[in-house]
Amino acid sequence: MSLYLTYFIVAAGLFAFVAVFTMFGVYAERKVSAFIQHRLGPTETGKYGTLQVLADMLKMAQKEIIIPAAADKILFLAAPVIIFIGVYLGFVALPWGPGLVPANINIGLYYVFAIISIETLGILMAGWGSNNKYSILGAMRSAAQIISYEIPAGFAIIAVVMIAQTLNLQEIAMQQGVLSAERIKFLGLWDVTHTGGLLSWNVFKAPHLLIAFVIYFIASLAESNRAPFDIPEAESELVAGFHTEFTGLQFALVFLAEYSMMFLVSMIGVVLFLGAWNTPLPNLGGVKLADWTTGPLWGILWILFKSLGLVGVQMWIRWTLPRLRVDQLMNLCWKVLTPLAFLCMLISGIWRLWVM
Amino acid sequence: MVQVFFYIMAFITLASALVVAAGKNLVRSLFMFFVTLFGLAGLYVLALADFVAVTQIVVYVGGILVLILFAFMLSGKEALNRVSAQSEGFMSLKNAPALLLTGLFLVIMFNVVFKAQADKLPWVQVAASNKNIMPVNGTGINHIGVNLMTRYLLPFEVISILLMLALVGAAHLSRKPKEDEV
Repeated sequence: MSLYLTYFIVAAGLFAFVAVFTMFGVYAERKVSAFIQHRLGPTETGKYGTLQVLADMLKMAQKEIIIPAAADKILFLAAPVIIFIGVYLGFVALPWGPGLVPANINIGLYYVFAIISIETLGILMAGWGSNNKYSILGAMRSAAQIISYEIPAGFAIIAVVMIAQTLNLQEIAMQQGVLSAERIKFLGLWDVTHTGGLLSWNVFKAPHLLIAFVIYFIASLAESNRAPFDIPEAESELVAGFHTEFTGLQFALVFLAEYSMMFLVSMIGVVLFLGAWNTPLPNLGGVKLADWTTGPLWGILWILFKSLGLVGVQMWIRWTLPRLRVDQLMNLCWKVLTPLAFLCMLISGIWRLWVM
Repeated sequence: MVQVFFYIMAFITLASALVVAAGKNLVRSLFMFFVTLFGLAGLYVLALADFVAVTQIVVYVGGILVLILFAFMLSGKEALNRVSAQSEGFMSLKNAPALLLTGLFLVIMFNVVFKAQADKLPWVQVAASNKNIMPVNGTGINHIGVNLMTRYLLPFEVISILLMLALVGAAHLSRKPKEDEV
């Protein structure tokens, strides 16, 4: 029975992490946007506005949950929960360190890819349930965008899987550092199995994965409805898209889902391309930096740093680039990213057969 | 434990399927269908077919269900109301062919279940006695991959050609006719 207790504790811990991450994420987003736009951001609440998020949370918790008269009550109430659960379930298979993974699933990557698609359903539910033109337009845009961008993301992921030869996220992580059981060659030339560090990450193991990573990153922005792909919630035309009608705690859940999604896609990107929980420091002769900085705690630290770095890039992009138009969005997906992703997949096959 | 889960999953699947079939509100039925599919995926997991379960979610929940919903939302409320207004009594003459078909199908299913005796199929027993079985150790997906690319390559390719044809057809249908053809 204690085994099941551990599962509950791990699940609660992940939820707590997601909540805390969202709090810091919101604050960071406001400060980053302020910095980029040459403003100050929140300053009044607490020192440097640090209590702003707490104040916002209190405000949201107090708000009345308003259900529009014409809304489909069941769908409307269930939608934010489903959106959040879809994202939250994705965290199950993600490794945090050597031996630290909530559920070591042999098809973990495939599972994550599948479970994320529930979010689309939740968004459609929210759009339809709100019974509001803006909501439904936003939901449909979001669904169209997510379905389209799943294809280049999927092929970029397949390019990695062909190199790694496994769908187990923990094994993919293991292959990118000093703990690897098989030989690692930097750029397919230089044996770095015992050097580890930065050199053995997937993007450097097979350089075409760098392109795959960029494709994946762009697609992941679209899948989490972040700018420059935020036409589902384009405030200038759709008020707030699919979450127009949500208030209080329901809106908080939608927000939580968005930030968890940002972290989730970043973490998947890190696991697949950027060495997962492996240290970026290589062994240099007698200075065994990689061996010293590999371990469960170090693992958590590294994967957290890398994922937060990617989240930072997401924020940076959001406040730098203008929003794409629908036709530009679809052109980018189908005419640029998808063929490139196919090419990456092809190179992966060749790389695996003749170079590795 | 497994049996308890099986009954829970089976109950969820059947109950939600009933709601899907009997529900008056079409969109709610569709969302309920999502629960049915999840229940089915759970049943697959209990049958140690984890790959099939996840594929079920990817293909049906992530793909087909979302597309159906999409079609629904594009068709607008008036069309939907007309469809939901059509339903009448359970035993009307219009439903007779459907009832007949489902009844016959039920008979076939019962026959299959009772006649086949899935517990003691001869080929299963032969395979078990010859140790020609696959252990449950998470390598199922590797076997699926190898078999798809060797033994079942032809059906696999035929299906891919079929899908390709469907894609080409869809692209052709949705293309705007050129000016000189109009």
